[in-house]
Amino acid sequence: MMHYIVRRMLQIIPVLLIISFIVFTLVFIAGDPVALMLPEDAALEEIEQLRESLGLNEPFYIQYGNYVFRMIQGDFGESFRYGQDALSVVLERLPATFELAIAAIVIAIMIAIPFGIWSATKQNSSIDLIATGAAVVGKAMPNFWLGIMLILLFSVTLGVLPVSGRGSIAHLILPAITLGTGIAAEMTRLIRSSMLEILNQDYIRTAKSKGIKSVHVIYKHAFRNALIPFVTITALQTSTLIGGALITETVFAWPGIGQLLIQAVNTRDMAIVQACVMIIAAIVILMNLLADIIYRILDPRIKLN
Amino acid sequence: MKRKQLWFICILFIAIGLLVGCTGEKNGEAGKTEEGNEDNRTLTIALGTDMVSFDVHNHNNTSTEAIHINMFNYLVKRNNETGEMEPDLAESYENIDDLTWEFKLKDGVTFHNGDALTSADVKYSLERVATDTTLLDHANYKTIKEVEVIDDTTFRIHTHEPDPALLNRISRIGSSILPANYIEENGFDHFLANPIGTGPFEFVEWVRDDRIVLKTYGDYFDEKNEEWDEIVYRIIPENSTRVSELLTGGVDMAVNIPPSDWVRVNENEGTYLTQGISNRTLMIFLRSTEGYPTEDRRVREALDLAIDNQAIVDNILGGAGTPTITRVGPGDVGHAEHLYNTYNYDPERAKELLAEAGFKDGFEMTLHSPRGRYLQDAEIAEMVAGMLAEIGVTINIEFMEWSNYLELRNAGENKDAYLLGLGNSMFDAANALDYYRYDRFIGQLDYRNDEVEELLAAAEQNMDAEERNEQYIKIQELLAEDVAHLVLHQESINIGVVDHIDYKPTMDEMIYIDSITRK
Amino acid sequence: MGEQSKAIIDADSQVYMRKRNGTIKRWSKLLLRSKTGTVGLLIVFFITLVAVFAPILAPHDPNAINPGGLHVPPSWMEGGSAEHLLGTDNLGRDILSRIIYGSQVSLLVGIAAVLLSGIIGVCIGLIAGFYGGLLDNILMRFVDSFLAIPTILFSLVFLAVFGPSIITLIIVLGLTNWTSYARLVRGEVLSIKERDFVRAARSIGVKNNKIIIRHLLPNVISTFIVISTLSVASTIILESSLSFLGLGIQPPTVSWGTVLSDGRDYLATSWWLATFPGIAITITVLGIIFLGDWLRDVLDPRTK
Repeated sequence: MMHYIVRRMLQIIPVLLIISFIVFTLVFIAGDPVALMLPEDAALEEIEQLRESLGLNEPFYIQYGNYVFRMIQGDFGESFRYGQDALSVVLERLPATFELAIAAIVIAIMIAIPFGIWSATKQNSSIDLIATGAAVVGKAMPNFWLGIMLILLFSVTLGVLPVSGRGSIAHLILPAITLGTGIAAEMTRLIRSSMLEILNQDYIRTAKSKGIKSVHVIYKHAFRNALIPFVTITALQTSTLIGGALITETVFAWPGIGQLLIQAVNTRDMAIVQACVMIIAAIVILMNLLADIIYRILDPRIKLN
Repeated sequence: MKRKQLWFICILFIAIGLLVGCTGEKNGEAGKTEEGNEDNRTLTIALGTDMVSFDVHNHNNTSTEAIHINMFNYLVKRNNETGEMEPDLAESYENIDDLTWEFKLKDGVTFHNGDALTSADVKYSLERVATDTTLLDHANYKTIKEVEVIDDTTFRIHTHEPDPALLNRISRIGSSILPANYIEENGFDHFLANPIGTGPFEFVEWVRDDRIVLKTYGDYFDEKNEEWDEIVYRIIPENSTRVSELLTGGVDMAVNIPPSDWVRVNENEGTYLTQGISNRTLMIFLRSTEGYPTEDRRVREALDLAIDNQAIVDNILGGAGTPTITRVGPGDVGHAEHLYNTYNYDPERAKELLAEAGFKDGFEMTLHSPRGRYLQDAEIAEMVAGMLAEIGVTINIEFMEWSNYLELRNAGENKDAYLLGLGNSMFDAANALDYYRYDRFIGQLDYRNDEVEELLAAAEQNMDAEERNEQYIKIQELLAEDVAHLVLHQESINIGVVDHIDYKPTMDEMIYIDSITRK
Repeated sequence: MGEQSKAIIDADSQVYMRKRNGTIKRWSKLLLRSKTGTVGLLIVFFITLVAVFAPILAPHDPNAINPGGLHVPPSWMEGGSAEHLLGTDNLGRDILSRIIYGSQVSLLVGIAAVLLSGIIGVCIGLIAGFYGGLLDNILMRFVDSFLAIPTILFSLVFLAVFGPSIITLIIVLGLTNWTSYARLVRGEVLSIKERDFVRAARSIGVKNNKIIIRHLLPNVISTFIVISTLSVASTIILESSLSFLGLGIQPPTVSWGTVLSDGRDYLATSWWLATFPGIAITITVLGIIFLGDWLRDVLDPRTK
């Protein structure tokens, strides 16, 4: 097990290097930030001076090398918008996004488990069809549309929940539902199919033939086994979650990493953009690694190699 | 089996608990906002964009200034009703000669840390923006040569050339007076994180993209604020979310209410819409560069004649807004009244002019436009495109995100036309008409009118107010004649307010907390 | 001898392929047996027809503004007019026509992006799976890298740098979606290359690229089709999210995403602006997913 984990950890290094290269190249192509950092009528010498002092006159590979070297030391550069270390700005925003993401997963689970099991046990019935259809609708609804509709319904018309911002648990509900719905759709489909797979396996059939009540069978055997892929799937949704957070946070004025990134892209605050992408990628990678490890622990059938 | 059932019951309970817990909490909160009418001394204002920075000389952003205005003071301020300049930090001022102004500061003005305001603070602040060329507001202050300290409360401002607009200049964005000692002792970064000024409200916290909190400053030198203990600015970028917050009483005021929601805000129990005219003018800037169709005056006039400014105001801006031919609006020094609240519209004549200019079958051009920066900017651009299609001109709109837009213009890579909404915080024609100076936009617009150039140069340093006024009016007439650019309309300010609060927007787009009172 | 064994190998490989992919007759039989599959196919067929015949079907020019007739409700509502079946938008444009024309761009972007990512992903998957070793390792690290950056985040940065247009949109969506192809195709190749006909072909010295093109590529086509259908659906959804962020299709071109996102400010006052394009997206995605699920059931040997 240790051997496996160490090997996977080592694989992370080239992956992060490749990501840093992709992001750096994009930022490099975006052009130099000097134009935005100086007033419109700045003299040419001033522009040149600033370029020189920022190391922007070096060739691409040297600039990239410097960037990676500084990044290893935890220095992602200074955000010109915040006048602050980019990494600390990003880390400051993470808790808000985590809070939202965890709440979204909780909501998604609350929707997906009952629906997934239900439609799997009644395969090809009209219930199954409706559940599948609902899952697709949940997936097809754009986040921003759902978010605005939820605000109009629960806040404006019914007046039971606050509209936006971060604060109490009540503030969390609507954005979490908005973000959770898309994931719930995905989860329902996956739970359904993994349940189906297990229900069709021999030992379940045997249990059934022995006359054990079917409800018992489902919960005791199938559900427990279906949980294994489920755990990993949840972890694998990290990327989708963070992507969805970008939009959900904007609709609900939620001060998380998604809004930070959008603002940074809009104002060309490239230090923040780079730090955001790197941190998010690192989180996604770690979650995937975690998923694999849990998967291996839970499922003894898989050999550790 | 029992364990599994327990598990399920647990999930169920957590779910129910969550729901109950939330609704319970909400009830408590709802109660709070409702009883808040009388006792709540916190004012919450929803903004669409976050503040840029506390560096007052380096943001050049009106909505940022609208917050700063409550924390910092200028030497003089413009009375929004009369248009007269009035003392603010300065008690009196005098124009000693063409190049020198002498000011006397009020007694008893203190910064939020208790330090008294002195001439040294003025010298530091104005000389910083006048000499540091990297500051975004530098261009508006480079006429200031130096600030000479006479004593603790007396100082003189020397200008390089005669500057008839000096008072307007120092009553606006970029001329806030900063605490020199405080900055010297702690460094500018410390100031940016813990800003202090002389204004009626002092800084509490700034959570980026979320909120800015201010509280009343007890030792404010002028009339004390009696209404509010705390001001919370909340950043809510999405229009519909901001409107929903207002409608549900989540905030007391919300800026930039889109026209489609005006009726809702007014009809909703507990909120109303308050409107005012801004001095921001929406314009489409045209390239007069050789090789572009708009180089030809007849083409420019044809475009102008094809646009029904009133239809834009009526249909897209809900009737709020004023069609105009000049950018120098009422209240600005040098305003040409006969060019305001009017527009030219004659699509038939437009077609003739196009044919005369050799574009009988029309032509194709690109219009760059920001989206979401000005009231209904994207809709206006699309409406203009639709109107120009009627005379055979095909417009390709390129919506651009703001920093791309700036970069494009700075690099001179803009194509035929771009849409821009320009305010005029100096309230002086000099600021507005400088946009027609040839040198300023070489490679970007290339509009040149020698008569305008001469008059601009003469008026800029003319200390004879009346003659200067006439020069500026003459310039506007020349520009209207030449159809240099397409002036569309003056924008309106639309703010949603809860019923128990009284507020009227001012033309400068500032939100003076002192003018917000409870009914 | 060589020719003969080649023929045997080819036949073998084709039998394997046919066993997996089946014949048209079997397909249509399977299709009719699945309710959702039939519905999915019908929807996709219908939307494609609409897109192809948009200029004939649309009652109005999708960009014709009408200052006098803004926010006209759908024809069955009070104040609606028969001229605009689904009403007009904030500039008086006919919503039905915009949706009809929007289908063109939404499908074009969806299909082109999926083809692009399919080509990249299948190539990389084939190469990585076939050659294995260090090359496989390096390519898979690239896959991991792209998987680690959320699609919408990558698109946001990419489009901010290169500017939004149909072409850049297709490129960025193509660049972000190829990883799933690469992974699955690689897995397929790993199992197929151990089969007898591939081993035999190798043993008699058939060139590597020939093996890839003749024996491996046809066998991974089914995987390609399954992922592609589902990807078209997610691409259509993603396009509308990018429109929300202001990085979608630019006017005068119309897509469902732009119509939907333009209408979002009017959800409370003129609900039809954003609702109809939303319904169009939902129905299309529903159809594509039903079709894709059915294809997977039919093509995936594991579920047979």
